[in-house]
Amino acid sequence: MQPVPATDLYNLAVYSLLPVTIFVFVAGMFYRISRYVSTWKRPRASSPKRGKGFGGAVVGLIMTFLHPIIFSLKKERSMFTTGLLAMHVLGVIPLLFLLAHHVVWWAYFFPPYAALKPLAIPTSSVSSYLSLSAPVHPASSMSFDFVNTVWGPLTAVLNGDVLAVIATVAVGYKVLERIPKISGGRRYIRIGDFVALLLLFAIIVSGYVATHHMLGPDMSDYRTALGFHILTAEILVMILPFTKFFHFVFGYWYGKLHEWYDLVLRRGV
Amino acid sequence: MAAETVEIKRAAGAALRRISSAELHFLENCVGCALCESVCPYTEVDPGYGPVSKAELLRRIYRKEMTISGMILGPLVHAWMPGAGDLGLVREVAYRCTNCWHCYTVCAFGINSGTLVNMLRTVVDGVGMTPAVLAEMRKLELEGAGGKASATLAEVLNRAAKEIGKDLPFDKKGANVLYVPWPVEAALDPDSVVATIKILDALGEDWSIPKDPLGLRVPVGSLVGDVKAAEEAMKSFNDRVSDLSPKIVLLSDGGYPYSSLRFELAEAVGSTPSYRVVHVSEYLAEKLREGKLKLRSGSERVTWHDPCKLGRSAGVFDEPREVLKAATSGFRELPHNRKDSYCVGGGGGMGWLSDELRKVAEEKLGVKSSSDGESEFLSKADSDLKKAMKRKMEDVKKSEAEIIVTACPMCVKTLVMGSQIHGPEIKVEHISTFVAERLG
Repeated sequence: MQPVPATDLYNLAVYSLLPVTIFVFVAGMFYRISRYVSTWKRPRASSPKRGKGFGGAVVGLIMTFLHPIIFSLKKERSMFTTGLLAMHVLGVIPLLFLLAHHVVWWAYFFPPYAALKPLAIPTSSVSSYLSLSAPVHPASSMSFDFVNTVWGPLTAVLNGDVLAVIATVAVGYKVLERIPKISGGRRYIRIGDFVALLLLFAIIVSGYVATHHMLGPDMSDYRTALGFHILTAEILVMILPFTKFFHFVFGYWYGKLHEWYDLVLRRGV
Repeated sequence: MAAETVEIKRAAGAALRRISSAELHFLENCVGCALCESVCPYTEVDPGYGPVSKAELLRRIYRKEMTISGMILGPLVHAWMPGAGDLGLVREVAYRCTNCWHCYTVCAFGINSGTLVNMLRTVVDGVGMTPAVLAEMRKLELEGAGGKASATLAEVLNRAAKEIGKDLPFDKKGANVLYVPWPVEAALDPDSVVATIKILDALGEDWSIPKDPLGLRVPVGSLVGDVKAAEEAMKSFNDRVSDLSPKIVLLSDGGYPYSSLRFELAEAVGSTPSYRVVHVSEYLAEKLREGKLKLRSGSERVTWHDPCKLGRSAGVFDEPREVLKAATSGFRELPHNRKDSYCVGGGGGMGWLSDELRKVAEEKLGVKSSSDGESEFLSKADSDLKKAMKRKMEDVKKSEAEIIVTACPMCVKTLVMGSQIHGPEIKVEHISTFVAERLG
């Protein structure tokens, strides 16, 4: 076994860059949100609202969030399948927040997060080991017992391997589908879209590579792969307040709540 | 710096100077999913007219003017300030939006691209490139909507007086209802004005009507991104209405005047109005519930087109349906209705750019309908409007209705145009006209 170097990518990502990442993220969020606060204007007077009572407001709130989802399911199936289902519903929520490795990571920094451990999703349907302690790719073609999680048979899909593949394919699709649109007059396609998608691609693939010890059997290889995975994730967190990733923590929620106020509470739509 | 560049920068600054937190969200938080493309009537004409692509032009200006990354990195982050040679494109894109808000309601992030396109119109206006017909209409409104416009309305009111056999109750103070018709309604759909008066008379309402128009179609400024002109028109409207102190201001126009006066007027004038702004479809539904409105019921195949500014922008969905169902057992919905109703394509000033309606503007309202150098822009706008209507007309066809009822004079006019160009042959009526013909 090779000795672990004191200054490798893993150390850089986990120990050196983490405080920097948190600082940049917090400062960026403060900057972005302060702009919303500073541009907020108190209405001089308000017209009578056309609210539909408490029940209408609650139903309206739910529908404000659901309407685009239902609409995309009916009219834009590829967008629904790749953008919403594969990247967000499957890619972000289970992978980012419930993959066993990530639950451990989140719980390390925020101990109450450990409460979600029973919901943790295993790396694969045949192994619940965290990859630091054991490579998870099957050592032989013999049959394996399925991992016993609260997800039951859903574990066949809800596992790191399958979700990573789905998310990778979705990100790849999103990159490819944008290319022909550039010349089609759709001026909203931006360089930043590709940067964001390629960064996501790098995070997912490096996570998969690290988990499966694909760089090599040595601990240093694992540290390099995992270090790269964490580093790319840190880059995402640092640029989050300044890029389209901002929607994840603020833009989406602010936008839908504003829409709810404007259309449902104020105009009674 | 060239004088033109300074002018463009000043116009951009004026459009972006006082953005609100909601507008900041609209500008900054689009992820480019382009779900909005599938609902816009103009995307079908050209993908570059999709809401997200239209809004992107303003976003580029915003990045260049108001973000650090845009100032430093410029084109790398798609920050851009249009040059003199780009203004034609900016105007074309800005005038391919009906501000129907369909993109707003399907956006996963609650982004109102219509608002951004209107801000793009502010830029266009700032460099003096607003289409002449709309610029003239704004001017006419601020000058009191007199001349031919006033005469056109007066002619229709005379007709109404003759039909009910009474003098109209002009400028009566303290009436329950003040009915406010616009010269534009008189020009586009005079029958709806006459019908509304007939209904008020038949119901024995305590009502009044302004002797002189309260505006051309308040606030015309909102069509060209001129916030100041819009506010001025609403203030003038409010002052004159307040003098007459009605309980209700009744509009037969279910287009932008309704949503503006119902929801924006208080902010424009700085106080909550002392009167309620009510659309005639709400009024009719109320009278129906009270048992005061009696209708002869038939079985015609009737459908309802939700005007964007009455439905999606103002929540008036149930009332017109209630009235139509009371008048016919043959009511049916369009395949896309209520919040998902397809826009016809003529709102937001788009209809006025067509050859047909520019003639109406000239003949009935007395406004100059074009200026030098606009012919190519107008010809393309006319052609694009005709293409944009197609989707709506296919929806109408699927309903198999024989009458399509609506409530906005521009919707009436563009549905008639759409029917003539794309079919089906269908009778288009304003809800007042429809009801007045069936008063029991």
